[in-house]
Amino acid sequence: MLRVHHSMESAAPASCEQTEKAKKYDRQLRLWGDHGQSLLEIGHVCLINASATGTETLKSLVLPGLGAVTIIDDAKVAHQDTGNNFFVDLASIGRPRGEVALRLLLELNPEVRGTFVDQPLQEILDNQPEFFTPFTCVIATCLPESTLLTLSKVLWDAKIPLVVVRSYGMIGYIRIQIEEHTVIESHPDNEIPDLRLDRPFSALEKYMDSLDLDAMDDKEHSHVPYVVILYKFLQKWNQEHGAPPKNYKEKKLFIQLVKTGMREKESGENEENFDEAVKAVNTSLLPTSIPSGVQTLLNEAANITPSPTTKPFWIMARALHEFVSSEGRGVLPVRGTIPDMTADSEKYIKIQSLYRDQAAQDADWVLRRVQEHSQQLGPRKVMPSLENDVKNFCKNAHALRVIKGKPIVEEYKGSINLSEIGAHLENPESDLVWYVMLRAVDQFHSEFRAYPGYFQDQVETDIVRLKVCVNRLLADWGCGPIVKDDFIHEMCRYGASEVHSVAAYIGGCAAQEVIKIITAQYVPINNTHIYNAIAATSGTFML
Amino acid sequence: MTVAVAMAVEWGARWVEVRKLLERPGPFTHPDFEPSPDTLKMMQENIRVLVIGAGGLGCELLKDLALMGFTNLHVVDMDTIDLSNLNRQFLFRKKDIGRPKAEVAAEFINQRIQDCHVTHYYNKIQDFDDEFYRSFHLVVCGLDSIVARRWINGMLLSLLCYEDGMLDQSSVIPLVDGGTEGFKGNARVILPGLTSCIECTLDLFPPQINFPLCTIAHTPRLPEHCIEWVRLLLWPKENPFSEEMPIDGDDPHHLSWIFEKAQKRAAEFGITGVTYRLTQGVVKRIIPAVASTNAVIAAACCTEVFKLATSACTPMNNYCVFNDSDGIYTYTYEQEKKEDCVACSQVPQELLVSPSDKLQDIIAILTDSLRYQMKKPGLQAMVDGKTKSLYLHSPASIEEKLRPNLKKTVEELGLRDGIEIAVADVTSPSTVLFKVKLKK
Amino acid sequence: MIKLFSMKNQKKDGSDAPKQGSQKRASAAQLRITKDINELTLPKTCDTEFPDPDDLLTFKLIICPDEGFYRGGRFVFSFKVGPNYPHEPPKVKCETMVYHPNIDLEGNVCLNILREDWKPVLTINSIVYGLQYLFLEPNPEDPLNKEAAEVLQNNRRLFEQNVVKSMKGGYIGNVYFDRCLK
Repeated sequence: MLRVHHSMESAAPASCEQTEKAKKYDRQLRLWGDHGQSLLEIGHVCLINASATGTETLKSLVLPGLGAVTIIDDAKVAHQDTGNNFFVDLASIGRPRGEVALRLLLELNPEVRGTFVDQPLQEILDNQPEFFTPFTCVIATCLPESTLLTLSKVLWDAKIPLVVVRSYGMIGYIRIQIEEHTVIESHPDNEIPDLRLDRPFSALEKYMDSLDLDAMDDKEHSHVPYVVILYKFLQKWNQEHGAPPKNYKEKKLFIQLVKTGMREKESGENEENFDEAVKAVNTSLLPTSIPSGVQTLLNEAANITPSPTTKPFWIMARALHEFVSSEGRGVLPVRGTIPDMTADSEKYIKIQSLYRDQAAQDADWVLRRVQEHSQQLGPRKVMPSLENDVKNFCKNAHALRVIKGKPIVEEYKGSINLSEIGAHLENPESDLVWYVMLRAVDQFHSEFRAYPGYFQDQVETDIVRLKVCVNRLLADWGCGPIVKDDFIHEMCRYGASEVHSVAAYIGGCAAQEVIKIITAQYVPINNTHIYNAIAATSGTFML
Repeated sequence: MTVAVAMAVEWGARWVEVRKLLERPGPFTHPDFEPSPDTLKMMQENIRVLVIGAGGLGCELLKDLALMGFTNLHVVDMDTIDLSNLNRQFLFRKKDIGRPKAEVAAEFINQRIQDCHVTHYYNKIQDFDDEFYRSFHLVVCGLDSIVARRWINGMLLSLLCYEDGMLDQSSVIPLVDGGTEGFKGNARVILPGLTSCIECTLDLFPPQINFPLCTIAHTPRLPEHCIEWVRLLLWPKENPFSEEMPIDGDDPHHLSWIFEKAQKRAAEFGITGVTYRLTQGVVKRIIPAVASTNAVIAAACCTEVFKLATSACTPMNNYCVFNDSDGIYTYTYEQEKKEDCVACSQVPQELLVSPSDKLQDIIAILTDSLRYQMKKPGLQAMVDGKTKSLYLHSPASIEEKLRPNLKKTVEELGLRDGIEIAVADVTSPSTVLFKVKLKK
Repeated sequence: MIKLFSMKNQKKDGSDAPKQGSQKRASAAQLRITKDINELTLPKTCDTEFPDPDDLLTFKLIICPDEGFYRGGRFVFSFKVGPNYPHEPPKVKCETMVYHPNIDLEGNVCLNILREDWKPVLTINSIVYGLQYLFLEPNPEDPLNKEAAEVLQNNRRLFEQNVVKSMKGGYIGNVYFDRCLK
């Protein structure tokens, strides 16, 4: 029989037609969404020095569609670049490395624009520090200590994020310098559901009270979402105990109580929804509370007087604080999403919509506060997506993150975080020792104009000299000479070599940190990351 | 300066970064390490590395290996290039869409990196025999398929040689395996027969998400339930394109049809959130992927290949997980070998038989000898790459069919020297392998 | 620690042209299914049919319940075990059209261990027992065939009559069932 298939004749409806860009970026759009992508596409990143680590970092920014790149590099392509850098080739030996790398990088993605500058960085810093203002973020590598410190100061003052990357033998290093970074969508991996069983809002209460477990037939009874079961038995529990179960012992008793409600099935199996309820006791009965990190930022917001320069994040945080201290009676707006539960469609969707409606109502309250603050500030910026932004802000209120950074200059000149250093140096497993080594080789370089072990015939003498640098550094920090000679030997063995696989690893990590900074999604490190390719381990330190 | 000398200087200068690691002693090298310029020479003239997969990880691996100084690389991949690969598979361009990944990747590397020679195979890994795999010193995997991982794991285990039950270490071909999913990834080193293998740790792979059919059919509550309803129940019933045509996740007509029907179903139940992107994700079981994670995991794998090949550092022991969604997190630990692993606990035992022995005699050896003391062994042989059931105790239907084999001789059953027989018995948690050895 | 293996030895060049892979060892999935099948203990109401005894990955299971609603019927299930067994469950379909709350008219079977609750420690035996159980205790609360489930829930006698009628061959509502009595 011939069947006529309408969908074959008619073209796909408009809603299905994906743009080519959406298709190309599909796999990453599932991580940071179209809004994250838009931010990436207006991002402009500057790379200082197109070494292997530098180009590997840019590679993972060009591929996902960063808006534009600028490379500053006054080096010429040398033979050794062709042995560790994918973005140079043999034909380009002797040509400006920034130009070659830019051409070969841009070839990866026609949507990315780029320029290169082959002026020495020091000249730019001396003569035109405003050069950096257009950049969303600056990545720097292969800089001597003094230049790095100048750069770090210029960018800190200009409030431009700086990401320092480095591959030194088998050791990798990433340092992020950012004054303040706020994240609304931190995408936590494991979330505790926001069910408000300890303080149900009135619509939820009304609905829950309208249900009667005992009056349900078996089918309905075994398809009640577990949130209802928990609610009902919590009421029962509270009548007896006055407050929800708190400790392990009480929770165990509560579980027993829930189990008494389970009906015997002909098959002898448990009702699945009751099993789920029992499993959920640990997470779903936690008192509704504000995570400490969020509380800290609300406290900060409480002290803000909104001004025309206040970032939208802080205006929303201020409004959120006002919500918590009035309408919200001490807690955050309802999140509005609930976990999946075994249930019949009707009840689950009804309950889902109760939470969603309450979330919308709470977000609306916050929105009105944000609007009031904005109006007081005059008719300046109109946030076109304000309503959505506030909704998103409230939905993520429990996971908001603020990172307060520290300038690199401070770390180098006197106020390094000594408690972190001390604690880690005592731990033989900690990779912080490699940070000490990197700092020591920089001091060595300032003193001797070359890295230890750079020349084959000086490895042995450099070991002795580097040891002096290490001990001096530790003495400055008031730490004992607790670094084993092995690390000093190993550093001299490296002789500042930049090995490709370490550069590629650091490049990948650093690129993602830059994407986090640009998209304001997920959480960047604060502030130093050390990769140890010898043992395939790593550590992040707040220095 | 003569040309030859100039070349040598350039060559020396080109690899100066890795040469420092290879030509200098250090406190963290493998005990076998001898600093020498010969190591780089060996990497370039001798060592053959096989890269499996030319996708997100594979492209990175080829680049990384080539720039660590390996020159003799081989890559196998059965896939062709798709537009959605271009956000991370950096050796491919729009003009390459539709071409074999292995071919384009090899072309690009060979053109960019002088003296590197990548040989490509537009094939399934199953297309090659043991001789092919034995010709490599190291295998690196960048795969998204569990089946393919299990296959190559089994292949490398089957290449192990034992003498008097002792592993001949020269038959070990290390397997370095990487995997990524969004911002998560893992890298591991497997020394077949010595450390935990893919099969030992099968539980580490996330199980496929399957929703109950009854939920899909009658009580949906998630947008995914609606999409699965169309995919599993409505499609085979309506056959919208033609009888028996399976869903092609790459055909926009198919996806549009599924999307529309799923939307309609969602509306009936008041479910929100069915989007085209979600539909595509569910139907094609799409795993999110981003350039950075692939770069990191491939680099970690390449570092391990470098260590294994040169001993310039001790290899990772043996499993590392990575996640950079909140900061940068890694955890490296020793994944332990499973004592009763169906794959790597196998030390094929010799089964000494004469061509005139009957199958029942072999079974008698297995049940009666003090060494085995099996109860009801079931035997299946591998003959010419195909399984051949010799005898099974159950179920009755198959036992009846195979019973005549009991009276057949080793010769009649086609059991030649070296053929492997898998023996299953209640006395052992997993099937045991025997290798036929004919009495002279 | 490990030695350098044969790293420094010259390896023989494998022929670069692909040869038809003659896999010399059975796959892990194969080894596992061999054990599952050799240790299958079928209840007396069940039987199997292997079209090719060398291929243990494709077979049929025949269930002839001797008690319950479906006493006297004969139901055929097809099993397909994939290369990712036991990481993934086998694909099981009911080839006999049956009036059953948990089996739809296309042969889809709603049994938890075939989908959401599958675990690699489960075996073919577990599935056989699960399927057999389905005929003894049809579950109307989580149905696939909603009509049948509603009848079972509201009128057990009518349900029983319908089952008998369907097994003899005949219409239930406007659906025709082929005869499947033993």
